[in-house]
Amino acid sequence: MTIASKKSFLTVSILFLIMGVVFLSVANLWLGSVTISWGDVLAAVFNRPASPQTNIIIWEYRMPQVFTAIAVGMGLSVAGLLLQTVFRNPLAGPSVLGISSGASLGVALVVLAGSAFGMDVLQSAMMLNDMAVVVAAFAGALVVMAIILYVSGRIGNVVTVLIIGIMLGYAVSAIVGVLQFFSGAEELHAYILWGLGSFAKNSLVRSEVVLMVTLLLVFFTWFFTLPLNAMLLGESYARSLGFDLKKYNTLILLLAGLLIALGTAFTGPIAFIGLAVPHLARAWFNTSNHKILIPATLLLGANLALFCNIIARLPGLDTSLPINVVTSMIGAPVVIWVIVKRSKIKVA
Amino acid sequence: MKNLVNIQSLSTGYRLKRGKTRLLHQNLSVTLHQGELVGVLGPNGVGKSTLLKTLLGFIPALKGEISYGGTRLKDISVKEMAARVSVVLTTRIDDIYLTTEEVIHTARYPYISLVGKPSEKDLEMVKNAVLLTGIADLLHRKFYTLSDGEKQRVMIARALAQDTPLIFLDEPTAFIDSPGRVELMHLLRAISRQGKTILMTIHDVELALQFADTLWLLGKDGSFETGIPGDLINKGSINKLFDRGNVKFNSDKRRFV
Repeated sequence: MTIASKKSFLTVSILFLIMGVVFLSVANLWLGSVTISWGDVLAAVFNRPASPQTNIIIWEYRMPQVFTAIAVGMGLSVAGLLLQTVFRNPLAGPSVLGISSGASLGVALVVLAGSAFGMDVLQSAMMLNDMAVVVAAFAGALVVMAIILYVSGRIGNVVTVLIIGIMLGYAVSAIVGVLQFFSGAEELHAYILWGLGSFAKNSLVRSEVVLMVTLLLVFFTWFFTLPLNAMLLGESYARSLGFDLKKYNTLILLLAGLLIALGTAFTGPIAFIGLAVPHLARAWFNTSNHKILIPATLLLGANLALFCNIIARLPGLDTSLPINVVTSMIGAPVVIWVIVKRSKIKVA
Repeated sequence: MKNLVNIQSLSTGYRLKRGKTRLLHQNLSVTLHQGELVGVLGPNGVGKSTLLKTLLGFIPALKGEISYGGTRLKDISVKEMAARVSVVLTTRIDDIYLTTEEVIHTARYPYISLVGKPSEKDLEMVKNAVLLTGIADLLHRKFYTLSDGEKQRVMIARALAQDTPLIFLDEPTAFIDSPGRVELMHLLRAISRQGKTILMTIHDVELALQFADTLWLLGKDGSFETGIPGDLINKGSINKLFDRGNVKFNSDKRRFV
């Protein structure tokens, strides 16, 4: 490819992905258990008079899902990209650092601990959508993240940080296991539902906040384009280019950790998006250059999350599958495909 | 000649657990001058790379003082160091999709702001480095598709584009065939003649003797000797370092027989 055709490929791809976000967002508003005509969807979106019922369905049920899916799709994907580059490991993703396990522990403590310790707690069904769950998940994620950052600030070696993150995840899961073992059926069910993930947990206001904060955090990743590219050459080269890795690793992990904590707190642990999307972006744009990969990953992540949310609501259209079922079924083949493709490169 | 690097009573090695150390060399005192092509020579595992990493500040010196242009290494930040020394290392970077051009452009990162674009001067430095190393036809290929020899030239171009007075190379001739090695040495000598100071670890004795201005000999017993190749051969230092069994260095033929 010549340079000119490379540039136009880039422009066309980015435009295509932006249009994809718009198209899939509208499709998310349109599809659902209640059939609403295209005209009414658009009327409701642009605040023209539509029936009150349509307004409620669009703005209180479907729009929050769109905002949440876009925010979490972007946030987890770019977090996955940051982690894969910092750890120089293609299998790094939001789950490896134990941050989502930390969120699970927070939720388990709120939802399960009461019944595990023989106390009478709130109705579990009510708790699913409760702010207490969000706060507990976020707090749990932040505690694990603080430990990871402390370790990475003291130890320059990323492999050590990675292993400690994974082990922390196991340890935290063990505590959750104990809580599950001792808790009642109803609470257990509520906890498991949380773990299956959903973009439909948030009110409009809450989903708007998630989207705004995600966009703010995503804006900061732009400042790390150069150190991330330098890291591709390895730790020694990055250092020789003037990047103090203890500092940059810690800052980048902080950014990725906040994005993961935010996404997990408001939707539950979403599988595979953070792991698979960066690989998709690399394959699509055939580059590791973060100047291109960061926007590509953001757009692909939003597209994929919106697409998964449509698939999750397709069967019969009056109930929805857990989002994790869909992301795993789409994400796993992507990861396999990428690994096979990589092994071909090594041979050549 | 300007003294670029001063090394005084330096001890290299590793700190182990419970305050113990594994000492590789001690009491090294030597100076690097401008425009010098220096080969660090010694048997495998003697600590050549460790010395290089110590000079770069990647691992701490056990004892002694290293100073760059009068400033102690301890007082130079990672960022400032990037304007003094560029490196070519043995790290394999095969699993990334960057073009050769993108790899070379990383050299300008110390000079541009985190969100900035390369300036005219940045592009100029890259262009000069590409011309000098003769890799213009590789620029738009993916780095991982290059041969080992081509990769090494690209990494040298990258070091040149970083525009530092010093270039440190760790085993630049590893993985490269014989004609490629000689070619590479000619290139490094040409670069040093333009005023750059080059320090390279090398295990190919004959090549080092042929091309280096100065040699630093590191012995297994912790010994350290420095001088110009001819003197070191005549003193028998090369024999002392490398002769084993039936393989001996012949000082007339300047190779092992």
